Amino acid sequence: MTVPAPSPPSASAAVPAEAPLLDVRGLEVRFPVRGGVVHAVGGVDFAIPRGQAFGLVGESGSGKTTAALACARLAEAAAGEIRLGGEDVTHISGRELRAMRRRVQIVFQDPYASLNPRERAGAIVRRPLDLMDVGPKSGRQARVEALFALVGLRPEQQALFPHQFSGGQRQRIGIARALASGPELIVCDEPVSALDVAIQAQILNLLARLKRDLGLTYLFISHDLAVVQHLCDEIAVMYLGRIVERAPKRALFARPLHPYTRALIEAAPSADRAVGRAGAPRRRAAAIQGDPPSPLDPPPGCAFAGRCPHAVDRCRTEVPALRDMGGGQAVACLRADGAGGFV
Amino acid sequence: MSMTPTPPLLSVRDLTVAFRVRGEDAPVVRDLSFDLHEGETLGIVGESGCGKSMTALALMGLVPNPPGRIASGSIRLGDEELVAAAEARLRRVRGARISMVFQEPMTSLNPVFTVGEQIAETARAHLGLSAREARDRAVEMLRLVGIPAPERRVGDYPHQLSGGMRQRVMIAIALVCEPQVLIADEPTTALDVTVQAQIFDLFRELQDRMNTAVILITHDIGVVAEMTDRVMVMYAGRKVEEGPAADFVAAPRHPYARGLVNCVPRLVADPPDVPEPLFEIPGLVPGAEALARPGCAFAPRCPRAMPVCGREFPPVTASPGGRSVACWLDAEGAR
Repeated sequence: MTVPAPSPPSASAAVPAEAPLLDVRGLEVRFPVRGGVVHAVGGVDFAIPRGQAFGLVGESGSGKTTAALACARLAEAAAGEIRLGGEDVTHISGRELRAMRRRVQIVFQDPYASLNPRERAGAIVRRPLDLMDVGPKSGRQARVEALFALVGLRPEQQALFPHQFSGGQRQRIGIARALASGPELIVCDEPVSALDVAIQAQILNLLARLKRDLGLTYLFISHDLAVVQHLCDEIAVMYLGRIVERAPKRALFARPLHPYTRALIEAAPSADRAVGRAGAPRRRAAAIQGDPPSPLDPPPGCAFAGRCPHAVDRCRTEVPALRDMGGGQAVACLRADGAGGFV
Repeated sequence: MSMTPTPPLLSVRDLTVAFRVRGEDAPVVRDLSFDLHEGETLGIVGESGCGKSMTALALMGLVPNPPGRIASGSIRLGDEELVAAAEARLRRVRGARISMVFQEPMTSLNPVFTVGEQIAETARAHLGLSAREARDRAVEMLRLVGIPAPERRVGDYPHQLSGGMRQRVMIAIALVCEPQVLIADEPTTALDVTVQAQIFDLFRELQDRMNTAVILITHDIGVVAEMTDRVMVMYAGRKVEEGPAADFVAAPRHPYARGLVNCVPRLVADPPDVPEPLFEIPGLVPGAEALARPGCAFAPRCPRAMPVCGREFPPVTASPGGRSVACWLDAEGAR
């Protein structure tokens, strides 16, 4: 089951093979609001090697979706640089931007809201081919058919409207549409969180298979650590617009360094922990208290300090930089000593 | 756990809720029986459309009618039969002895009243408190659910609170009359995990203090493992498995329950570099029109379906330790 992908633009052919497909430096995104500015993304750095899945995790309001939208040029970067295959795409426009759109596509969270209810499924998947003028017109119908097969839909389902599909099938249509232009990078914005658990497994398996078979690169947004751990090679944890920790998957779970990363891991309900009051004792109390601060009114210093069990006075005045701790792991905490302790 | 010798607080027998779909009666809940004891937490799990929320609405006397109605069966709370009860009587029970926390705190709170007024309303209706007393009670409830500066927050409108705070307000409303049974329908799905953990702590604390019995509707097996004593799995309106939560999570018996437990990625300390494919339950939950068909509704998706499964719903096989399963594999000893 292979889909002939259109060859990538020549710009990427010139860069060395080891350059990351996506390279983000100092990215900031701001939104004007009544009476001020929200710093939705306050300076993040990360890079994704070709063929890898990079997970951005965090709670609502952490800026993970906004950062991803900026990478897809669907939100405007106020500062910083976004490179795709070595090429600076931060401020490109017109023809260049349209060419980039073929290379970067999105799978959205809500498969009910992201498909046009008045278009047939086949037309939805074909639309990007026509809009971006992908391949000869005569071959487009065959390509739609191949895409349907690739995501596990039957050819006759092209004639149906979105409301005639289940949530999982709709997400398959959304994935087929994203694959249509033969992209190199796919931004997956919470692609399974609107789906029932049994359906989540089907979609996660599909995404893992597509990554392997087509050599796709994912920027994967999720609030669910278990999903990110399952699918991603490297993970960045965001809190109030900044990356607080970034590490290869195994390092992050073997030795989480940031107190917030630890809290997230602790707070995730686990089927493998002790059960009920009658058996083993129930799990200990919540690791951290309080709610995340409002991005409208961020505290000075480390944004997590107000909820952090390790915070000292310095944390409330000084913004910690992301420090390299070796092995690809980086942490933004003044007190993390790199061995899992706090100085 | 040894079964409590005292009679159950809530006892549901052969409950069937039917919805009129295109002139036919679709049994969205069918022949459902279960007990709930004081201080116990019962989890109800299953995919959307399995009848979990409709069971909750039936217990609350809130099945939308028309098109739905309780077609048969019994719901007993203590000595009182709720199925036949008059609406006036139900109104005395609902919110006072049984109450419910809904999934979405933003849509379940009234945006034009302060949170204090919304808590006080329930207290005045059921406890006959004066306006002044009810307001004091609202402040006390906000403190109980862990909202800082409750004297000030009592005058806030829902939009002034975070999602976690709003859900705490919903819980305060549900608990203001110290109900015997609290039904929580996916109470934390709209919340972040660190806030979810705090809400669950609050549930446990309140349960320890008031000995409230809790029915927790969830799709999250991790939540089942950490929060519940006993679990009931529903599929297509029927109970297909029931048992202590620990046994269920460790070794689910019904093929559907096995699928549910095994299809979710689990957070582990030492993940493999390349993920193993997740277990998949093929196909979809049946629509309302398929509910009245004979046989086990899971058979079309079941990897171990036998000819009998399509003809007749399996009898319930009970095993020691309070476990039961409705599957022909057990009924015929075919495991």
